[in-house]
Amino acid sequence: MFGGLRERLQAARNQLSSSIGAVVAPPAAEPVITPLTPAAGSTEPAQPASPSFVDKVKVLVLERELIVSDKNIAQALSELELTLLESDVALPVTDAIIVNIRKNLVGKHRKIGESVDAMVVRALKTALLDVLGKGFDLKEYITTRPRPVKILFTGVNGTGKTTSIAKIGSYLHKQGFSVVIGAGDTYRAGAIEQIAVHAERIGIKIIQHKEGADPSAVLFDTVQYAISHKIDVVLADTAGRFHTKSNLMNQLEKIKRVMKPDLVVYVDEAVAGNDAVIRAAEFDRTVGADAIVLTKADMDSRGGAAISITHTIGKPLMFLGVGQGYDDIIPFDPVGVVDELLDGAA
Amino acid sequence: MATNTQQAEQRELMMLQQYLKDYGQQAGIFVEQLNLLENGRMEAFAAIEALEAMLAAEENTVLLQIGGGASVRAKVLEPDKILIAIGAEVIVERTNKDAVEFLKERIMEMEASQKRVSETLDKLRGQMNEINKRLESGYQQSMAGPQVEE
Repeated sequence: MFGGLRERLQAARNQLSSSIGAVVAPPAAEPVITPLTPAAGSTEPAQPASPSFVDKVKVLVLERELIVSDKNIAQALSELELTLLESDVALPVTDAIIVNIRKNLVGKHRKIGESVDAMVVRALKTALLDVLGKGFDLKEYITTRPRPVKILFTGVNGTGKTTSIAKIGSYLHKQGFSVVIGAGDTYRAGAIEQIAVHAERIGIKIIQHKEGADPSAVLFDTVQYAISHKIDVVLADTAGRFHTKSNLMNQLEKIKRVMKPDLVVYVDEAVAGNDAVIRAAEFDRTVGADAIVLTKADMDSRGGAAISITHTIGKPLMFLGVGQGYDDIIPFDPVGVVDELLDGAA
Repeated sequence: MATNTQQAEQRELMMLQQYLKDYGQQAGIFVEQLNLLENGRMEAFAAIEALEAMLAAEENTVLLQIGGGASVRAKVLEPDKILIAIGAEVIVERTNKDAVEFLKERIMEMEASQKRVSETLDKLRGQMNEINKRLESGYQQSMAGPQVEE
């Protein structure tokens, strides 16, 4: 996942480290330590050339201390900026990362014993975590809300919305929650059968009407079923749509009025890069979105959408789809992702 | 009892057909992605060819296609200043050589993505073959008539 971005960040990290390392004064010559044992034939023990306390402080603190200036890292940051843009990280997000790194490096004193690389990694991690946000713990959210928790899934066509609903259903089922799925995509041919098969495979109840039925009615029935059967979570599927189709967006508004979702989740594919970010922003503006799911993250080398989406629309990334199986969905963990991107660096 | 078994078999066959349809749809999406990647790759190759030819061309003259099969001779004023979209809707100016390098890297990236999508597609096709086999044997069993239970 995000292999290309990882390689690019690794290169940027090395460049930043070497830019900073280049300005470090060559280390002071190590004091010559004379053995304390007396030399053969000598009656007096040899005096070690021990540095004074002041010298030690000078060597350990002052001469090995590093204060980074803007000039030292300007070129490396410029390269990093291009690196992020080439990875499809949105421009405002790239700017935010660069500003954060600059803030965390310029004028800072390197800690004693800390390598230049560790300092750079710390700055990169802080900057990336700042734009990635905190993620969204669905399990905790459900636990703290009155039941049933109603989750409405929206997004454009063909991004893996229905499969993601099945995966999330399976995930919640395994977490011990009871789940019902509402087959609200009554528009796409075969969509009802598709979600019905998923539901059967994972052992989840599904509420469905005929193809072409009013999705609001299907999802209303699903919520009623959940209330009467004391189900924990309602997962509401909807037909894929582009935000430019006003009639379909109005339909989504109606669904929202009827089922009153606790969460509106926008689903798009990570491989769409910056397009996914733009579409998410448009959906958020028109019908609102509370959290994001990015599918096909395992096929996304650049990682631009995953890095940009939270900072751009101000909504947390909840899950990443990483394969074809029902278990191939992972709750988005910003720290884990950043660690993976920076090769597990501390 | 035999009727119940037959019903269960019919139901399983219907489920398998639906699985097959579902996998088929997913495979279709991946094929579409492969085509998009291939188009992008070919476009990048064409751009590299054009960039390199532009430098080699006498008096920087190139044929500019204007649609409908018509072209005009156009003189490129600055063949070494290339405006290239690097991602995130950002366009930067690069030298001809750097732009070619950038495009070559993009091609490598697209090839890596193609490989990943192809692997997933192969997996899906493998699963579809398995389902097909099960469907076939299910049909053969149902054609053989109801099983008598002792």
